[in-house]
Amino acid sequence: MKQYLHYFRWLFAAAAILVVLYLWLLWENHILLGGGERRNEECRTQERVFDYGDVLTEEEEEELRGLIAETEKRTCCDIVLVTLNESLKEYAREQEPDVPYREFVRVYAEEFYDSNAFGYNQPIGDGVVLVDNWYREDDGRVYTWLCAVGRAEEEYTESRIDSLLDAVYWYIEDDPYRAYKEYINKFGDDMAVHDGDGLGLPGYFPVLAAFIAMTIFIILHWSYKKGKKTVVTRTYVKGTPELYQREDTFLHKNVSRRHIQRNTGSGRSGSHGGYHGGGSSGGGGSHGGHHGGGGRSR
Amino acid sequence: MLFRCKNCGGNVIYSPEKGDMFCPHCDGIDSGEKEVSEEKDICVNCGAPLEMKEYNSTCKCEYCESYIIIDERVRGEYEPELVLPFQIGMEQAVEMMKKEFRKRIFTPSTFLKESTLKEMKGMYVPFWMYDYDADCTYIGNGTKVRVWTSGDTEYTETSYFRVVRKMAIDFQKVPVDASIEMPDDVMDLMEPFDYGVLKDFQEKYMSGFYGEIYNQNSEELEERAQQKAKKDAECMLQETLGGYTTLASEKKDIRMNTRRARYALLPVWRYIYKYRDKEYPFYVNGQTGKIVGSTPVEKKKVLSYGGTVFVLVWMILYIVARIAEIA
Repeated sequence: MKQYLHYFRWLFAAAAILVVLYLWLLWENHILLGGGERRNEECRTQERVFDYGDVLTEEEEEELRGLIAETEKRTCCDIVLVTLNESLKEYAREQEPDVPYREFVRVYAEEFYDSNAFGYNQPIGDGVVLVDNWYREDDGRVYTWLCAVGRAEEEYTESRIDSLLDAVYWYIEDDPYRAYKEYINKFGDDMAVHDGDGLGLPGYFPVLAAFIAMTIFIILHWSYKKGKKTVVTRTYVKGTPELYQREDTFLHKNVSRRHIQRNTGSGRSGSHGGYHGGGSSGGGGSHGGHHGGGGRSR
Repeated sequence: MLFRCKNCGGNVIYSPEKGDMFCPHCDGIDSGEKEVSEEKDICVNCGAPLEMKEYNSTCKCEYCESYIIIDERVRGEYEPELVLPFQIGMEQAVEMMKKEFRKRIFTPSTFLKESTLKEMKGMYVPFWMYDYDADCTYIGNGTKVRVWTSGDTEYTETSYFRVVRKMAIDFQKVPVDASIEMPDDVMDLMEPFDYGVLKDFQEKYMSGFYGEIYNQNSEELEERAQQKAKKDAECMLQETLGGYTTLASEKKDIRMNTRRARYALLPVWRYIYKYRDKEYPFYVNGQTGKIVGSTPVEKKKVLSYGGTVFVLVWMILYIVARIAEIA
């Protein structure tokens, strides 16, 4: 036992330091003890699903509320859903006179989030709101906006926003409930500190690497049974070998050519099922630049 | 022959720790005087008959425990040219072995406690040391390939070369053990010895140790030495052939020209442990302290140590991945 403890002392120490560091980080990130406590006491509402557009049934709304409550604990972010069915032109232009059509929903989303003081950690803190306006604006299009604030804004990259809106728009016309569920689930998967892979390695990597390490360890110590060869090539050579003839005579050369087939096929289109795709765009700066996000139209 | 202390008359032996002749009876240093035997097979000290094996050049009298050197086996054709005196003493060798056993983590922890030391011998093992002039020739064809891309075209340029190498290597004192009793693979693992402290043979270095005359002559063992040197020469020749993508050999010739062979005695401690009815021999290089020998393996230890490595590596990698996620 003494030999065992002595042999693994450094590895045990490294593991202990890492465990302490890990626990401290969990504590710091409020993940310990089943999720961090929500610290925002100034939020004006407990509601998270605002179906002003009357797109969802009562049961569906209830389901989404439950899902949001659970996901909020996992992500430590407020998750808000707003559906509308009204023109936002007048409202948005009142706030920002030159705002383009596609960003009416952005103005609404940011204002909605701020006025209700959403945020998991503090008022207008960590959280996200999806505003889906079913009203067809003057330009003939229907707009959606995802607004991310605080940690969500920092960590929720443009590609993640794109991917989330792709998922939402895949179902939105045929099954809005499922589309909104996708919004919550995908945000949960992307943001949850419990899941994912920080080093970009597959989940089985630690087990596989540990197995390889164990095998190498056993082989090394097993082969150590007898003794190691410690004689090198030059052990019995006096001085340095004398290379008295060294010739590398160039004879000829030939060059062959090969045409490279370039892949000229087009990349992934930005939309699904005939919806008109729209790239995400950065968030507006109407409230001091603390919002991020992106939009889509159909 | 025996070395007798001129102070107390005791048997003087060579002490590796002191690097000199030493009388264990009166602690006298360099107090030994050579006393030549009149009769073969009789102890010079007490006159008791000596039991000697076929190749022994020294032995220990069973009655008075004096170390006797057999005159005729260290003279004439059996007189070694060189000797490497012991530099590690018996106690130091035992300590080194204990340390080694502690490092061998799969060895049962009861190995030292439960095993009995069946034999503990300091032996001068006979070796032949060969000097060679190696003449190495390589002739072949090599290619070097360069690939680059320009626009939509990939170009591959293959250059052809005539490759010639001629190299002379001076091998000195390539050792091969000349003892049938000593396993060849173990003696090869004992190497290298530091030849810097090789000395011209003197009988005094053998006092206190067991010794053998060569069991096989230099011609019989030459092939083993040549193979060893040839293998090294091939590696050195290969080192000069770098930089080619492919090499096709036309002629590869390594000639070993024997300059001379020297008869030498090299020091080895042999310990035989008996553990659970099985014998485990260990050999310690009497100069460098290198240890060769197999220890038993305890399956329970393999499982516990292997399992711990698995769990710890898994845990560390898992936590590092999680920390990377959070941080």
